[in-house]
Amino acid sequence: MVFLSRIADLIDALASRHRLLPWLIAYVMLLPLPFIMSTFFNSYLIDLANRACLFILLAVGLNIVKGFCGQVTVGHIGLYAIGAVTSAVLSLEPGGFGGALGFGLPVWVSIPIAILVTAFAGLIVGLPSVRLEGAYLALATLGLGESVRIFIAVTPALGSSTGLMMIPAPSIGSFVFDSFTSYYYLVMTAALVGIYFSFSILRSATGRAFQAIREDTIAASVNGINVIKYKLLAFVLSAIYAGLAGALFAHMPPGYLHHNNFTVIEMVTLLLMVVLGGIGNVWGGVIGAIVVTIAYDQTKDLVVYFMDRPIVVQPLVFGLSMVLLVLFMPRGIGGWFEGVLRNRRFIKRSEEKLGGTARNSQS
Amino acid sequence: MGFDFNSLLAFIIFGVTIGVVYGIVALGISLIYSGLDIVHFAHGEMYMFGAFFGLVLAHNVGVPYPVALIGAMILTAILGMLVERVFYRRLTRAGGGYTVAGMGMIICGFGMSVALVNAAYFFFGAEAEPFRANLDYIPRLTFPGDINVPESYVLTAIISVLLMAGLHYFLRHTKTGLAVRAVAHNKDIAYLMGINVPLMISLIFGLACGLAAAAGVLIGPMQSVQVEMGYLMLMKAFAAAVVGGFGSLPGAILGGIMVGIFENLGAAYISASHKDIYAFLLLILVLMFRPSGLFGVEAKVKA
Repeated sequence: MVFLSRIADLIDALASRHRLLPWLIAYVMLLPLPFIMSTFFNSYLIDLANRACLFILLAVGLNIVKGFCGQVTVGHIGLYAIGAVTSAVLSLEPGGFGGALGFGLPVWVSIPIAILVTAFAGLIVGLPSVRLEGAYLALATLGLGESVRIFIAVTPALGSSTGLMMIPAPSIGSFVFDSFTSYYYLVMTAALVGIYFSFSILRSATGRAFQAIREDTIAASVNGINVIKYKLLAFVLSAIYAGLAGALFAHMPPGYLHHNNFTVIEMVTLLLMVVLGGIGNVWGGVIGAIVVTIAYDQTKDLVVYFMDRPIVVQPLVFGLSMVLLVLFMPRGIGGWFEGVLRNRRFIKRSEEKLGGTARNSQS
Repeated sequence: MGFDFNSLLAFIIFGVTIGVVYGIVALGISLIYSGLDIVHFAHGEMYMFGAFFGLVLAHNVGVPYPVALIGAMILTAILGMLVERVFYRRLTRAGGGYTVAGMGMIICGFGMSVALVNAAYFFFGAEAEPFRANLDYIPRLTFPGDINVPESYVLTAIISVLLMAGLHYFLRHTKTGLAVRAVAHNKDIAYLMGINVPLMISLIFGLACGLAAAAGVLIGPMQSVQVEMGYLMLMKAFAAAVVGGFGSLPGAILGGIMVGIFENLGAAYISASHKDIYAFLLLILVLMFRPSGLFGVEAKVKA
């Protein structure tokens, strides 16, 4: 607890010099991670870190629409799928394996196009939110997200049952991002920039408008906030995150994409990240993404034999933990951490006012 | 392919029969929604458990099909009540609707759905099992134009009508049904009138899950029974409930029939491999342009 507060103090002190300073230091600290992992542990961990970064992007993006703006969407994985498949199809060579489409565009062109397409899809997913609330919205987004997956699964041009193969890796000059280590720098940078922008959004006028809509839509509109515009904007912003994560996922080594990567289980994993981290809390979402990615990886081969049947227990564990989290820890890790920090800041401020007497009252 | 009136008629007849089954599941979802203000995302799993209970009763215990149907309904109702009492009660007590608890309820139901599917693997395994039912005593209907309707479809139509009539009678003409409607209308006032509200909530959940189980046992002989079957059914039942106006009981059945026909015609005339998307398409279109449902039922919106 004290340790956490010390770190928070340090970050505050750094940020008071320049607001980008803590981010730069974090970036530099994250640079040698693949070398530490491959020297002391094994290089598989780097792949895990890459996937964690992608899920951080997804979770942070989902947080914008769900946590900041309070719109219940459960079709986010469909946007991720759209980003991934668009970028893959655009960058594949024409006449690929199994009748898959291909346009042969360079990767650095296909990724921005994929993000634009996903942003547009996000706009469409967001359109029901203009008229619908709560449960209805959840239904509409679930329907949209699931129809994306089924559409991919039954369309050979998008690599139906075989999946898309040999998706090219991005490169700068002669340097190709085709190994886990080199790709780590790409996704880690994207994740860090994503987190930074998420905070920028939260602190901007747009972020305040989102929060106003979350707290009370009618009061927000009375105060001159264009509710429709901001709701759609929240969906588009989160779709941009999902599109970027999806496009990066498509080009990640080994460059293979299958619609099984976008099932309900993935959606539950993503929801679990956000719920574990605490809905609306950016750092919570990041921590949730890391914890759940590691847990996902550790439990995915866990098989229990029951009446001579091998049974994968992971989805059961994930589903149950989601239920229990909602019941017993509705604000998640982030909510708890925020509570600690707020308490501490409150005590600090009281100390400054009272001249140190407040310390005796806490222990 | 030329236009063939007989095959169109056949698609419509099969669409209606399968649609009635969607309607029964949608009826349960609507019942829970109007009673508790929550959307039950794990309802597809109740349907799946119902189908498996029926299968186990009919194959392993060896009871006749109608008894298996009733047994499965009772067992699933008990399962549903247990799930509601143990997990959901904490959230429903905090108030359903569109509050923060409402968002929690959606996530909770989602998690429950995944947990139940994977719990079912423990008991029923991953293989799709055929539901063998002896239905020789049901007449096979033949419509003009040589359209043969199999026994299981006829049975489905009959039992669905009986279930709907039974539910209607229970809700409109019995004292307990009146209490259920009072709880659906306003829980606080129902308390003051001396109604045992927690018991009624359990009853609503039990009824809804029993209906889902009936749908599962009815659809068993048409398709095989499989652990993963709940999810698609849930989506189609949602579509049915939304098309008919969420929370409206007659709307749920009409919506189910519409979804069934729409889906069968789409599969026949557009593309069969995209069959499962049509229900979503209808769902999204209705939600976007007419959220209160096609039949103009006033949607129940709580602030």
